[in-house]
Amino acid sequence: MRLTYPHMGEAYIAVKAMFDDLGIESIIPPFSTDSTLRLGAKESPEGICLPFKIMLGNYVKSIEEGADTIVITGSCGPCRFGYYGPLQKLILQDMGYDVDMIIIDPPKEGIAKFINNIRRLSGKTGFKTYKVFMDAYKICEKIDELNQVQYFVRPRTKDKAKVNSIIHNFKSQVLKLKGSREISNMIDKTKEELLSLNIDMDANPIKIGIIGEIYTIIDPFSNLNAEERLGNMGAEIHRSMTIRDWAENNLIKPLRREKPYEMEKRLSKPYLPALIGGHTQQCLGHAVNYALSGYDGLVQIYPMGCMPEIVSRSILPQIEKDYGIPILYLIVDEQTGEAGYQTRLEAFYDYVENRKRRLS
Amino acid sequence: MLILLCYSIDAQQKTVVLVVSKIDPIGIPRQKDWRLVTNPCLKNLFTVNNTSCKEVIFLSVRIGVPRGMYFYKFYPFTKRFLTELGAEVVPSPPTNKEILDLGSRYCIDDACLPVKVYHGHVEHLKDKVDYMLIPRLTSIVPKEYICPKFGGLPEMVKYSIEGLPKLIDVEINMYKSRKNLINALYRVGNMFTKNPYRIKRAADKATREQMIYDNGLLKGELPSKYIDETDMPRSKTSPLIGIATHPYLLYDNFINMNLLKKLSNKGIKFFLPEMLEKKIIEEKCKIFEKRMFWSSGKDLIGSALYMMENSKIDGVLMLTSFACGIDSLSIDLIQRLGRKKSSKPFMVITLDEHTGDANFNTRLEAFLDLIDRRKAN
Ligand code: SF4
Ligand code: SF4
Repeated sequence: MRLTYPHMGEAYIAVKAMFDDLGIESIIPPFSTDSTLRLGAKESPEGICLPFKIMLGNYVKSIEEGADTIVITGSCGPCRFGYYGPLQKLILQDMGYDVDMIIIDPPKEGIAKFINNIRRLSGKTGFKTYKVFMDAYKICEKIDELNQVQYFVRPRTKDKAKVNSIIHNFKSQVLKLKGSREISNMIDKTKEELLSLNIDMDANPIKIGIIGEIYTIIDPFSNLNAEERLGNMGAEIHRSMTIRDWAENNLIKPLRREKPYEMEKRLSKPYLPALIGGHTQQCLGHAVNYALSGYDGLVQIYPMGCMPEIVSRSILPQIEKDYGIPILYLIVDEQTGEAGYQTRLEAFYDYVENRKRRLS
Repeated sequence: MLILLCYSIDAQQKTVVLVVSKIDPIGIPRQKDWRLVTNPCLKNLFTVNNTSCKEVIFLSVRIGVPRGMYFYKFYPFTKRFLTELGAEVVPSPPTNKEILDLGSRYCIDDACLPVKVYHGHVEHLKDKVDYMLIPRLTSIVPKEYICPKFGGLPEMVKYSIEGLPKLIDVEINMYKSRKNLINALYRVGNMFTKNPYRIKRAADKATREQMIYDNGLLKGELPSKYIDETDMPRSKTSPLIGIATHPYLLYDNFINMNLLKKLSNKGIKFFLPEMLEKKIIEEKCKIFEKRMFWSSGKDLIGSALYMMENSKIDGVLMLTSFACGIDSLSIDLIQRLGRKKSSKPFMVITLDEHTGDANFNTRLEAFLDLIDRRKAN
């Protein structure tokens, strides 16, 4: 069994750590590029959301490198993501690839099934698997920390190119490592490197929160590196959802019988008192939370045609009004042009920056 | 309980006219000498003014029901239920150019066509009614959702259109159990009466009405017969084509360029998803290893697969809306699964607010030609 899985931002790092520790051979698809997307888009239904197309491209590239089994998480929420797996499998079959697909539904669809799926993958006893799983979760926590450092340093140093090269270097070097311990050390080292740059501690950059559809905010390829772009302009950014945050709320908390996403639900309730699918409550909840925490602006990113985020998009103007926080709405798909995208980000940055100066 | 809304006093004759209602309407028909009562208290009025009451006018509230989304699925129930409780139900007129334009103006740009049309209906209706019924249809079948946009519909409308009347945005969520529907009905009923038996009676009558409607559609009747009391002569001869789509595209004659009428005029019979029993749809959807958790996708896939496999049906036409998330996936699934088994003429026509009649006709003709040619062989 040669496993592979789709890219979603830094997820590959934690998943790699987990499979390495379990001693399972896995193939990480080559980093998503335009050719990945083109490949995926060609075989996908036209109107489907961007993540579907990129993931499909990932699979094809992995299969070409010898993968025969795809692992993805599923979901039975009212969104298309729950049906990605079955349709992608059909498409791959029609393309002539005979692959197995293991869809791990979250524990709330049945804990027994969840554990069984994990067993099927690992072939190990429960305890070992549990430990490996928690180690992978720790990696997720560390990646979050590393990102926090990155977000903090980028607007405060003149050496922005250096920050970017350290991060890019980290992302590719990780591929050469094996197991959670080595990866963990590498993360620490990278953090040190970032902190040893020349940082202006008195700077007071504008703060921008990133909200929207989970895949397109986590995966830098899908959002044309929005984080890096904003950081380079001089904004300190924060991303509302991360792999760790997802794992905590969907895997850890249900196993501990705790309620997931409490803050998000509480804060989004006045605007949307029901669960409608996707991550609408998270998007709105974080928007309010950022506004309350003194952020200067928000960027909502979602794929063209994303159903839940279109609902958020209709509600966000009210939050914009209620809290007086400017919001930039970015829709991404395979046709998104880089130049226009950069211009919009720059215009928004300037607007927020001026506004902040005016208000203070 | 009656609420006194306004009164007028005739000082000479020492009489008073009272306008009362069971529920607090907003747009009361104002007459110039009517005085609005903000804190209703009948007794005070009589003692203060020392007049006798000449006349009591009962005013029913007008509840607007926008003709969009699942209107054609549930209107008979809605109408009967609210009427029984004493409300006047005001549906918006069938979609027209003006309504569609309003919809595109008020709704956010990247929404799907039905949601835009719905916004248009709300905007059109908002000044004509006291309340507007925009239910949150999160789930109408246990363990299934409809589509995220149905769940967020009240909010999409609320934050896009200003000056709305009060909304009845009761949530119907049968995901966990059907009981939730009963609670929702009581919540609405309580606006009119505190008597649970009256609510139950209204609900029972409404259910019966809905059953008659559903059975009618199952036999091949069209909603307009029940809702607008107009019927359309239909062809009884072959060919028979199946039309798989959502009710808000199928029965909105403006949006679908009068498809049903056009077909009938050409002497073509059609088979619609509503003519299929739920059982069959469930059966067809078993082909997925993973349970289908969207009612709208399930109905679509189930009926399309049925139509493709049934030998009496000569071709399958699918209507879809631009930017429909559910369809983008469902139609691909249908094509991949169904077309392996069937080589019938199959066509997808995408509708959006710019679809022109000429354009639509060309596509339709092409499809019908395919069928003719197939039949001739
Ligand atoms: S949340 Fe948006 S992007 Fe994700 S599956 Fe749903 S429609 Fe697609
Ligand atoms: S099912 Fe499609 S057309 Fe209907 S509301 Fe949802 S996205 Fe729009």
